[in-house]
Amino acid sequence: MDIRDIRTRLLELLTTIAPDIDAAHLNPQRALRDQFDFDSMDALHFATAVSEAFGIDIPERDYASLASLESAAQFVLSHLPAGA
Amino acid sequence: MMRIEFRLPSLGADMESATLTQWLKQPGEHIRRGEPIASVETSKGLIDIESYDDGEIVDLVAAPGTLLPVGAVMAHLQVEDGARAAASPEAPAASAPAPAAPAPAPAAAEPAAAVAARVRLSPAARRRAQELGISHETLAHAAAAAEVLHIEDIERLAHAQAGAPGDARAAMRQAIGAAMARAKREIPHYYLGHTLDFGPAQAWLAQYNEPRPVSGRLIESVLIVKAVALAAWRSEGFNGYFRNGRFEPSAGVHAGAAIAVRGGGLVAPALIDAHSKDLPTLMREFSDLVSRVRTGHMRSGEFTAATITVTSLGADGVDVLYPIINPPQVAIVGTGALRDAPWALEGQVVIRPTLTLALAADHRVTDGRAGARFLRTIAELLAHPQEL
Repeated sequence: MDIRDIRTRLLELLTTIAPDIDAAHLNPQRALRDQFDFDSMDALHFATAVSEAFGIDIPERDYASLASLESAAQFVLSHLPAGA
Repeated sequence: MMRIEFRLPSLGADMESATLTQWLKQPGEHIRRGEPIASVETSKGLIDIESYDDGEIVDLVAAPGTLLPVGAVMAHLQVEDGARAAASPEAPAASAPAPAAPAPAPAAAEPAAAVAARVRLSPAARRRAQELGISHETLAHAAAAAEVLHIEDIERLAHAQAGAPGDARAAMRQAIGAAMARAKREIPHYYLGHTLDFGPAQAWLAQYNEPRPVSGRLIESVLIVKAVALAAWRSEGFNGYFRNGRFEPSAGVHAGAAIAVRGGGLVAPALIDAHSKDLPTLMREFSDLVSRVRTGHMRSGEFTAATITVTSLGADGVDVLYPIINPPQVAIVGTGALRDAPWALEGQVVIRPTLTLALAADHRVTDGRAGARFLRTIAELLAHPQEL
């Protein structure tokens, strides 16, 4: 799975947990919280979805890595189980 | 068996109309009390409205796509005789959409002038209502939410009745404006603030979450909601409704959780019996509420059930949020952002995560002294999170 697949999958997860966001105008570099009024529950839902979809554990101290779509993609890429 | 009308309920003092989007039951089908009967689009988003009765659907009166004023007959149900007497205790905030004892249906075309005898209208408002042909039901239900209807109320009703366009955001803003104007007009608010050391709660939370998968973790808001609910349950005068000139306490604490709606506005659906649920259960229900606000599957009962509200601006917030009471409730607790700040502890200045609580409460029910005790109780509970 390369970074582009990860980005695509992350966008799918994001629009599933928050179908009310305007995904067409998403800036992958910008914090989701600043773009979409993401609250702490949205952030947790996103972390849960990412953790389950990619099979990786996300400790609380790493939540900050999921702030933007791009930082989340980089985080997933560096934590993917070998062979995935 | 008797035949009753199912009317569009009011999902709060700020709601005037809704558009029927879909029937979830068909004629001949059985429906249980609390089961969704239809999906409607309101200024608060898409909501599944629930039946107040057990019975069978006789016919569906309203067609999908129709804009209906609050109180409009949507369907007819066949129910057991007398079943209605015990109807809907959990829909107390509704501005009398479906009277417990069904009154004989008023003639549909009852002129505004006749209604004015019962509904208090200013003279200008009465004239305007006649000119605009506002229906009796619309007037009657609007009147249930306000003492006297003024001309601007009539203009708003006409707007709603005509199904005038105006995007969802404007409708939401208008709904919030109406409810908050009523709160500021009718409720003598008093405000109290209290800053607490959130360190113990944060440390407990980190320890709780550490071994758990993301889906099993808790967030700060759940601890705060639980603490407020427990404090409200142990105190007098903060949990319930002020209606008909007096305070009606509620046995259970149904904590309304203010949730921001993207694009503007907010809703505050209830976490039922929040005082008696453990944190993981409350977390699941809170999580589910937020998901359904996002995906548009709120249930009508959730909107009218809250007996006290908790509101927060989240991590991006400022130090203090001075909230406004959501009528007919009598108290609301706002939390500022969690913030590291200098704190005096055992004669030393230390840096602690601090949280400022602000209470707005109704002076017709309680005084500052009781309010202070209530806030201190919340702080005390948050200082001992393992007991929540």
